[in-house]
Amino acid sequence: MKVVRARIVRDPALLVTVTVLWLLLALFVIYPLLMLAGTAFAEDGRPALGPLMSVLAKPGTQRAFVNSLLLGTLVGIIGTVLGFLFAFTVSRTNLPPAWVRLIDAMTLLPLISPPFTTSIAFIFSFGPRGLISYELLGMRGTNVYGLTSTLAAEVLTYFPIAYLTLRPVLAAIGGNLEEMAFSLGSSRLHAFRTVTLPLALPGLANAFLLLFAASLADFATPLILAGNTFPVLPTEAYLQIIGLFDLKGGAAMSLLLLVPATFVYVVQRVWVERGYFVTISGKSGAQSAIRSVTPAARVALIFLCLAVAFFIGYLYALLLHASLVVAFGANHAWTLAHYHVIFTEGRKAITDTMIIALIGMPLGGFYGVLVGYLVARREFAGRAAMEIVSMINYALPGTIVGIAYLIAFNDPPVALTGTALIIIACYVFRYSPTGIRTTVALLHQIDRSLEEASKSLGARSVTTFRRVTLPLVMPAFFAGVGVVFIRSMTAISATIFLVSIGWTLITVRILENMTELSLGPAAAFSVFVIVIVMAVTTCVNALLRRLPAAAAEQAQWGVGGG
Amino acid sequence: MDGIHIKSVSAHFRHQVKGDVAAVRDVSLDVRPGELMTLLGPSGCGKTTTLRMIAGFQEPSAGKIFIGERDVTHTEANERNIGFVFQNYALFPHLSVFENVAYGLKIKRMDGAEVARAVTDVLALVGLVSYERQMPHQLSGGEQQRVALARAIVIRPRVLLFDEPLSNLDAKLRTQMRGEIRELQRRLGITAVYVTHDQEEAMAISDRIAVMNKGVIEQIGTAEELYRRPASVFVARFIGRSNLIEATVTAVSPGRVELSIAGRLHVIESANAEVRSGQTVLANVRPEAIAIGKGDGSEGIVKVCTYLGEKMEYEIEVAGQMLQIVRFNPPPAERFELGAAVRVRLPHEGVQLLASD
Repeated sequence: MKVVRARIVRDPALLVTVTVLWLLLALFVIYPLLMLAGTAFAEDGRPALGPLMSVLAKPGTQRAFVNSLLLGTLVGIIGTVLGFLFAFTVSRTNLPPAWVRLIDAMTLLPLISPPFTTSIAFIFSFGPRGLISYELLGMRGTNVYGLTSTLAAEVLTYFPIAYLTLRPVLAAIGGNLEEMAFSLGSSRLHAFRTVTLPLALPGLANAFLLLFAASLADFATPLILAGNTFPVLPTEAYLQIIGLFDLKGGAAMSLLLLVPATFVYVVQRVWVERGYFVTISGKSGAQSAIRSVTPAARVALIFLCLAVAFFIGYLYALLLHASLVVAFGANHAWTLAHYHVIFTEGRKAITDTMIIALIGMPLGGFYGVLVGYLVARREFAGRAAMEIVSMINYALPGTIVGIAYLIAFNDPPVALTGTALIIIACYVFRYSPTGIRTTVALLHQIDRSLEEASKSLGARSVTTFRRVTLPLVMPAFFAGVGVVFIRSMTAISATIFLVSIGWTLITVRILENMTELSLGPAAAFSVFVIVIVMAVTTCVNALLRRLPAAAAEQAQWGVGGG
Repeated sequence: MDGIHIKSVSAHFRHQVKGDVAAVRDVSLDVRPGELMTLLGPSGCGKTTTLRMIAGFQEPSAGKIFIGERDVTHTEANERNIGFVFQNYALFPHLSVFENVAYGLKIKRMDGAEVARAVTDVLALVGLVSYERQMPHQLSGGEQQRVALARAIVIRPRVLLFDEPLSNLDAKLRTQMRGEIRELQRRLGITAVYVTHDQEEAMAISDRIAVMNKGVIEQIGTAEELYRRPASVFVARFIGRSNLIEATVTAVSPGRVELSIAGRLHVIESANAEVRSGQTVLANVRPEAIAIGKGDGSEGIVKVCTYLGEKMEYEIEVAGQMLQIVRFNPPPAERFELGAAVRVRLPHEGVQLLASD
């Protein structure tokens, strides 16, 4: 402790940086949450449980709470199973590379789309005038709204997360272990049951938690698809505040979300710290010649994956089509009118979103690298606390963060409502943790001796950071920048509370279009966002590949030893 | 030229299970100006920690460190003017060979032309002419090590510190590189501290060796001193191979000690007569100092015999104890087969008496 303090005093740059970061974290993470709690737990300026109790007593709230948990659990289970089947198919059935690319592309789409995309496509497909329900099946007056469609849309939106989580897990388990089981005389099913599945179990649990949390926090899908019959907490809290102007009630309701969200967070942290998710060591050998599945099972798996991939493709094709016709389901004449609308009436939303994204990107990227570096490499009092606090806004459902910001920054001392700053701050502190995580992971790969070498050659810590560490964590910087950009273009659950006449967002415009039932412009906006996000991510990836540090990392340079 | 003076230095760290652990305990060491001192010991003995404290990467929890006359105990590494060569070379992967070597010079704000000249000179010195534009990952292990060496010496450090610099190289290159390092250090006349766990490397490269074990220095001396007169059982075992034979002292007279080994009396000439009659000791006898043959001596049975070209290695059981014996260039006729009964004679000179732990 004495040594630690001595070091921080001797390194003024570190002292200043840490102090500034703590001030920012206090203002944009801790303060809003305290204000939120203060609003929910106070009546007439005194601490009280009254508001919370009255919200809890409403049958609507209880139903929403139960519905949220039910939806989250179902999405978690079904999405994890689907993600596992995809990961298993890709890693174990010797799929032709072209098909793997197709599957990867299709599963990537939901991750980079604005949140309403699947929901809108569902309405186009299964709604009252939907392609399948109305045109093909000739059903009249179908009701697309409710648990089933919400569940289906959320599963399709979030199962790619499970797929991406489980793919490396299955790859790490590798053919060798299964080969071992075969060589000991076990059948394929037996090997799967006794080797593959148990080893994948922590990964499966993690995927479930991720999907559960994502569904719990999802605001857009239930808002469009759940309808009156299936209220969930995020939409109820939103309606409470925006519809009924009941800030206190909305705050209390959003805090209910905190219960399951905290549960997930704690379980994950404990598991991660106990090392349950440590990848299995040992060489993950070349694709084994032995097939892990029978030919029949292989065909079935591939068929399932391609069917799901094609269905996703179908939904997006529908969206594209809807953006290019006069009125989907009624008048299928080609037109660019909807795009004209979004670039005229919707222009402000587009420029606002772009400005906010462009300011948020470098800030978020730099903030992520800086915090990641401090947390992974430097010693200072409160380091562990900083790591946890910096993750809070990321771990919390967007609804909570949005309402907390709304309450905290509406009035002096820090009145930010109506400015772009409040939205930028929300994005930076909510979405940079990905950059923090990437930086930490990258720094664990880069041996400390590189920084020590710089130090031994006479460089101060600031110089070392600028000339050695920063260039090497550039991939993390760009990853952080990319995530902030994608989220700026697609997020809504928190920022729906923060937009104003002065500053609005594309996603919010899409929502407004949906409520005005102008589905064409909504589809056009969605297509526009997807195209922009794809273009930017492609550029970032291309840039990443050209970074010497990334190439060096591939060559496993500067790793290990010490 | 500066020496290094370490005075009663300790290093503590917190272990998750064991709590407060001392990696280095009350270590004192004087490295003379221009000398190459090796810290030798098994992993976890505190040698790397000691080196890192000299470099300033780690702060001692007690004691003082001087480089020359200057107390650097609390000086940051970047202000100590040291050259450090890492086990994994620690070349900056995003910088070319030239930029790696120039790094320290640019920090010192040396002007461009001078930097270029200094880098070219030092690269020639380590045998890497026209490697300037290469990236580290394009180089072989030995070349990377040379770049690391060039980068460390180009800033003209007051001391040069090596942390197991050769352990990532293959055996042949290791031998070659240690020769080059030694040659370079002599030519530059720079004080150096070298950490290794390889006793042969230590003996080949050092002026003096400090043998470390469990956070303390067991013995400091030249390779020969350590081999001939180990001060402890640990040093005897760690430097070279040795037979440690249990013996009881039966009589002590100046320069002579009479021992009883497995019931037989044996007289040795001994300079270290710090033993008294009746004491149980371990007699340290090197494998090549034991004679075998027929005639007199203790009876033994050959349990292992290995032909290794220029030498034969035997393990012979004598009175319940296994003795290692090496015969260099034995005459072709001399061959003791497995299971053969032989006579073993211990030498009268060069036997060390060590207190048993």
